[in-house]
Amino acid sequence: MKKEILFFIVLTALVAFKPINKIDKLINSEIKKTFVIDNFTIESIKVKEDLNKELPIKITDSNFKKINIDSKNLGYYYQGKAFGKVDYFDFLVIFNSNLVIKKVKILVYREDRGGEIGSKRWLKQFIGKSVDNSLKYGNDIAGISGATISAKSITFQMEKLLQSISILHRKKII
Amino acid sequence: MKKITIAVSVILISLTGYSQTKTNNLQQNSGQRILGNVTTSGVTIGGYAQVDYNEPDGSTSGDLDVHRLVMLLGYKFNDKVSFLTEIEYEHVKEVFVEQAYISYKVNSNFNVLAGLMLVPMGIINEYHEPTTYYGVERPNVDKYIVPTTWREIGVGINGNIYNASIKYQFYVFNGFSSYKDGVGLLRGVDGLRKGRQKGAESNVSSPNFSTKIDYYGIQGLRLGLSGYFGRSQTDDTTIEDSTVGITMIGLDARYRYQNFEFRSQYIYTKLSDTEQYNTLIGSDLGSEMNGFYGEVAYSFNLKGVEKITPFLRYEKYNTQAKTAGSLVKNLANDKNELVFGLNYKVANGAAFKADYQLVNNAISGSETSKQFNAGIAIWF
Repeated sequence: MKKEILFFIVLTALVAFKPINKIDKLINSEIKKTFVIDNFTIESIKVKEDLNKELPIKITDSNFKKINIDSKNLGYYYQGKAFGKVDYFDFLVIFNSNLVIKKVKILVYREDRGGEIGSKRWLKQFIGKSVDNSLKYGNDIAGISGATISAKSITFQMEKLLQSISILHRKKII
Repeated sequence: MKKITIAVSVILISLTGYSQTKTNNLQQNSGQRILGNVTTSGVTIGGYAQVDYNEPDGSTSGDLDVHRLVMLLGYKFNDKVSFLTEIEYEHVKEVFVEQAYISYKVNSNFNVLAGLMLVPMGIINEYHEPTTYYGVERPNVDKYIVPTTWREIGVGINGNIYNASIKYQFYVFNGFSSYKDGVGLLRGVDGLRKGRQKGAESNVSSPNFSTKIDYYGIQGLRLGLSGYFGRSQTDDTTIEDSTVGITMIGLDARYRYQNFEFRSQYIYTKLSDTEQYNTLIGSDLGSEMNGFYGEVAYSFNLKGVEKITPFLRYEKYNTQAKTAGSLVKNLANDKNELVFGLNYKVANGAAFKADYQLVNNAISGSETSKQFNAGIAIWF
């Protein structure tokens, strides 16, 4: 048994001491990949407090931003959270300027179980959805066995996000 | 054994290397910054429960039982380190620790775990909360062939390769006990089940390796391949015949399309040196065991989250599919079973269940044994 345990300790140490970059870098690179661009600027969106109360998801100046290139609007991104069985996970949604989803990515997943929702193929189901779509788990979005709670949870958050964005769009804020 | 270790190490290192290059960028800091009210540490409380009524056909009386009541208590120290325990009350009066392990998150899809953990084999051993399966009781393949709830002390890694839609797990576990205080523990009727040490003052004489690869890249489908390799444990290493070699392979599939669900599982176990072992302790342990089941279910949506789901499952399992030496197979161990019933889900995590079970064995002229089961299932 000794050798095996030692093997794990060495392996862990090797992996653990690699430098890790910031999550913002990941968001930047996802935006670049999604729109196939090298440079862009980020602009905050101001939502008044009383309107925010109407929204299923509260928009702050740090969770929802406009993506511009040479002062032309390319799209938007949302950085959100959803709750799994015992912990939160973070995800990123990128929209184009017509408010159609171009990309969904799990940024941080913390639990041991349910991490399957990070699968690119599974998340692809959200691509192409827009404010006109409803997202019902099991019908519009197929589930994943073994990750049901997290899959339901992100689907629910995504639906609330689309509803919020729809309201912002109607009020001509975006 | 050495060869297996080396092969697995190579696979492991290449796996982790691969997952690394793709996900080095993931980190938690900015997540915490933005998600103001996210708890970065603290206690988690949860649990599950199964209260059953079993009534065999005929003149025998029924049985009411708080079969399992499990309290989950977890503590998250920070975004990387957490500790999870499950304390189980079985039949009200027996107390066990079902899980107790520390998890160290190296990066977003690579975790190192150590402590008392579940062995990943088939579906139910890992996903054993009663609201995750249909039927009042767990499938019998997951009782006699995979001895759920199967857990031992060990160390391992798990994680996901998101680009390939793969979950990987690899562990070194302590194994089944086959010999303790001069008594043999493994037998023909339930295979390895009595050998589970459950992390309680367990004997260790040789390491066992466990791995599972899950693929979930096809929408609605999840496929699993599990492997378990090693030897049983003994408290007297001078008695060579007191242990047996164990190889267990599992294949499982879960498919869901809208309201239709299908799941299936096949487990094959090869036990070596059983002839000497049986001679030593006077037992009848088989040299091969296998089990299969297939289940279909269809959910009818009622108001809100409520659902009523009829299901049908066919199981076939044999704890003495082969025997070594002169040992004659007991055909009573070769069973098949039909279970059908209803699952009434009243909330996410709460259901009423009822089913009827028909069990046959391979002895010619033997009667079908029938049983009615009803119960409640809770997971929170």
